Amino acid sequence: MDDSKGTVDPKLLEILVCPLTKGPLRYDHAAQELVSEQAGLAYPIRDGIPIMLVDEARRLDDGEDVRSPSRER
Amino acid sequence: MDTEIPGPAVIFDRAAVRAHRDRAARSATAHEFLVRESARRLLDRLEDVTRRFPRALDLGCRGGILSRILKGRGGIESIVHADLSWEMVRRISGPSPSDGALAESRAVADEERLPFAPGSFDIVFSNLSLHWTNDLPGALVQLNRALKPDGLLLAAMFGGDTLWELREALLRAEAESEGGASPRVSPFVDVRDAGDLLNRARFALSVADVDTVTVMYPDMFRLMADLRGMGEANAARARRRTFTRRDTLMRAGAIYRELHGDEEGRLPATFQIVSLTGWAPHVSQPKPRRPGSATARLADALGTTERFAGDTARPG
Repeated sequence: MDDSKGTVDPKLLEILVCPLTKGPLRYDHAAQELVSEQAGLAYPIRDGIPIMLVDEARRLDDGEDVRSPSRER
Repeated sequence: MDTEIPGPAVIFDRAAVRAHRDRAARSATAHEFLVRESARRLLDRLEDVTRRFPRALDLGCRGGILSRILKGRGGIESIVHADLSWEMVRRISGPSPSDGALAESRAVADEERLPFAPGSFDIVFSNLSLHWTNDLPGALVQLNRALKPDGLLLAAMFGGDTLWELREALLRAEAESEGGASPRVSPFVDVRDAGDLLNRARFALSVADVDTVTVMYPDMFRLMADLRGMGEANAARARRRTFTRRDTLMRAGAIYRELHGDEEGRLPATFQIVSLTGWAPHVSQPKPRRPGSATARLADALGTTERFAGDTARPG
């Protein structure tokens, strides 16, 4: 069980792909994110649980949280 | 980010499905008896199969009910618990009490956009979750790909006759008191369509069948509380976003009792559970031969003489 906080099961990492592009993911241990370069999205990991939802992902280009409703620019 | 792909009609509000799951995760597990019963029936199917399925996915796992009653069946060595709701998968912690040897991991995933590489699993379970997908054919195709060749899909979803009594009562009450009606209970799939969808998603040896479970409730409000407790509140996009008026609900409860109540005043609620079984294609699986390719006569095998029955079919 991936019970220790911030640690994702390595066997799970082997089979996870980007839900949008089905392309590979890079595990950013420091940021606790799974990065899809192809989609330009970073999927967050909370309590060792990867959140593989496009709506919850951070967009890579401007570091903006894509689910944030307010985009004042 | 909105990356809506044009194609299938968007009937369900997936954000609402997720919110309902989140809310249900915070409530007691007492409402989950139907989910547990359906999981039990789904797992019973494993007992007819002699193969072993080391790597499993439970998609739409809620709080991990299915794995807790797995009890070592199917030769499953590892299971990925996946659900649309982080609150749900977070509840699954520590080794399963029924099966300490099972390796478990957790992920938040959307049935409509699966995050698993092709050939990741020997078996995929989906217990009472696929009925919330807008693109069921697309979800089934993705599941097929996530399976290894000759991998097994075991899924259960609510079917078309589910909660028909409740739907009828709510529609009538609303039409009476408010002069119009909006869908109060989510639409469900038909079993014939489900079988067809499995074939179209290239599942082999596929079977769709139906179980009907009738649950007796003291009143309509207990039924509705149970639905919310299961995370099964209406998430149709066409649903009304405001609360139903109290008097309309009271009237619906009365109509429900008039039409369906038993002599003790209890209300039956029908849950139709459509079970889907299908195998990811593999060369070892039996396939029908090309019509006309037979090399022996059926009559010979039966030890009888062949008589012309008047049909005009010719071997093609």
